[in-house]
Amino acid sequence: MKILVTGATGFLGGSVVERLLAHGERDIRVIARSGSRRDRIELAASRYPEARIEYVPANLASRTDAIGAVADVDVVYHLAASMKGAPADMFLNTVVATKYLLEAFGAGRKGRLVLVSSFSVYGVAKLPRGSVVDEGTPLETHPEMRDVYGQAKLRQDQLCRESVGRFIKELVTLRPGVIYGEGGGALSARVGLNLFGLYLALGGKNLLPLSFVENCAEAIVIAGQAATAAGEVYNVLDDDLPTCDAYLVDYKRHVESLRSIPVPYPVLVTLSRGLERYHRWSKGQLPAVFTPYKVATTWGGNRFDNGKIKKLGWRQLVSTQEGMRRTFDWFGRCA
Amino acid sequence: MSSDMGYRGPWGWSTSIWVAAPSVGVLSGEPIMTLKVALVGCGKIADGHVEEIQKMPERARIVGVCDREFLMAEQLATRYGILGKYDDYGRMLEKEHPDVVHITTPPESHLLLARMAIDAGCHVFVEKPLALNLRDAEALLAYATDAGKKLTIGYTYLFDPPALRMRELLVSGIIGEVVHVDSWFGYSLTGPFGTAILADMDHWVRKMPGQLFQNNIDHLLNKLVEFMDDEDPEIQATAWRRRTNARDDVRDEMPDELRLTFVGKRTSAHGTFTSHARPAAHFVRVYGDKNIAHVDYVSRTVTLEPGPTLPSAIGRLVPAFGQAWSFLEEAGRNSAAFARGDFQFFSGLNRLIAMFYDSIIDGTPLPISTRDILRVSRWMDRIFAQIAERGRR
Repeated sequence: MKILVTGATGFLGGSVVERLLAHGERDIRVIARSGSRRDRIELAASRYPEARIEYVPANLASRTDAIGAVADVDVVYHLAASMKGAPADMFLNTVVATKYLLEAFGAGRKGRLVLVSSFSVYGVAKLPRGSVVDEGTPLETHPEMRDVYGQAKLRQDQLCRESVGRFIKELVTLRPGVIYGEGGGALSARVGLNLFGLYLALGGKNLLPLSFVENCAEAIVIAGQAATAAGEVYNVLDDDLPTCDAYLVDYKRHVESLRSIPVPYPVLVTLSRGLERYHRWSKGQLPAVFTPYKVATTWGGNRFDNGKIKKLGWRQLVSTQEGMRRTFDWFGRCA
Repeated sequence: MSSDMGYRGPWGWSTSIWVAAPSVGVLSGEPIMTLKVALVGCGKIADGHVEEIQKMPERARIVGVCDREFLMAEQLATRYGILGKYDDYGRMLEKEHPDVVHITTPPESHLLLARMAIDAGCHVFVEKPLALNLRDAEALLAYATDAGKKLTIGYTYLFDPPALRMRELLVSGIIGEVVHVDSWFGYSLTGPFGTAILADMDHWVRKMPGQLFQNNIDHLLNKLVEFMDDEDPEIQATAWRRRTNARDDVRDEMPDELRLTFVGKRTSAHGTFTSHARPAAHFVRVYGDKNIAHVDYVSRTVTLEPGPTLPSAIGRLVPAFGQAWSFLEEAGRNSAAFARGDFQFFSGLNRLIAMFYDSIIDGTPLPISTRDILRVSRWMDRIFAQIAERGRR
């Protein structure tokens, strides 16, 4: 069976390739644009000398490249997404690239697509604070009120669901929380934001829905290989989660001393109302980084449920305590 | 500055009210016109156009956006609440009957799309560069003129607050007659757009005769044509690649540094496009026979170079205080604008669009003259020809 991994040279991609190899896959094509790092994939591949790893320098925003990338492929693990940049660039590299990938796949074997989506596609703004979000929670109905990353991931998620039967035979969707680990981002926006050198601790007592990168990759591969996962959606997050405050305290203890100030949720909501009003009055002189809607979605304190992926047989490979230790050690060495 | 540029008053902002109207509404009891605007090309710069047009509901409303990739039109329409979204340009023109079309696609499509818009009875706002070469630029401008339609180009920095203040200084005579101009445009190849250009041999920027330079030096040259009245000044262009090989293939060959020298009858100029000097500065220095002005488009400051007015060491000591005071004044001016909510990122684009719409509605002069657009285009052709000639050697 030939597998294609998009976004393979990214933070999560290397771990997914490693877990695919660990679960017996031996014919893997990875999209690796020139200049991208291959060291993690090569390290993983070195432990499986019989495996065939094929590098394809494709740009998925090109239809021609997409066709070449999916040739003879049975399963696509679609991780590629744009994390930053101008809104148009993010849509191009996340949504349009996914469309071209789907169309190319549909012209060939029409196999299984394993999509790495995001928690950001859920419509949680109107849920009561602390509500549990599971795979049955409705998706966002006001994408225009979310940040661009959330909008793009939602449209990508919808596009893949619309393609079942037309371009792909089966879809498996995984929606991870905050993926962290060595080489990842330091502090999720769910914990807080750095404002001109002062760190605003916004998450407070909310549970931080962490997913250690190896645990996340394990979940993706288990779902990707399970016949029963066709058409299913799985939330991916670890157990024994810390609160945002506890995570920040540990980060400060092990990585760097940050000047931080806690911002209670009611204060944050009030500030966001003020900023939204100012944004309107000033005709966008300052971006509406905080709006009451965005605050409710990001810092509303929702809890996420991982029972469904566990039922599929997923087990956490690395404990949260160990994952945080390894992550902070790595950041400490980089600091 | 050429005489037919449409600036009015002391280089200020015109708020003229119009009467004639393709689309008529009512504001304060007076019949008013709002232009129906459509946009084609839903990439990065389209956001700026849409945001600024939506800030002038008394002048215009956006009726449709189009991109050959429908998802791109959809994302723009969703984010800005626009009803019409299309992947068929002809259909958008036919269904929405816009008065104005903004063309924000890659330059190789400008000529075709602008002609189609003009054929559909529209005025056109074309992003820079206007076309791939002078021949196409001339053809397009002639096409618009023959059809009685107006055309302008996205020379936004000409309408940014520091450019307006610099012109006030010129008009007041403080700078005097302009002897020389330095136009500097810093660029980063490490951002998402630059990275995409470097990685992709098929990127549209690489397909233009002037490649990276052609997508940027409108902003460098359009500031010079203000000061040089010559049609064809002496031009010397030197281009080279400064970055080290990243891929060891043909993608590494694109030049990324450009130095230009212009000599006209009364005024000379230097132009610098650099992808490596940091910070990526963007300024014009205007050397008059009375004063030298430094116009900074990043910090939005306009300051005069202080000359020694006192003898000996004191003469070296005092000017820095004068300069510090100038910057303090500029900081105060900018802070006041910020407090008024008038310190917008796309100030120049807003001003340019509004002046263009005014020219359509009440017949005021175009914000940018046809002559200046063509001179920029002609100079670009000559620059790229020199670069190509030296490359062949």
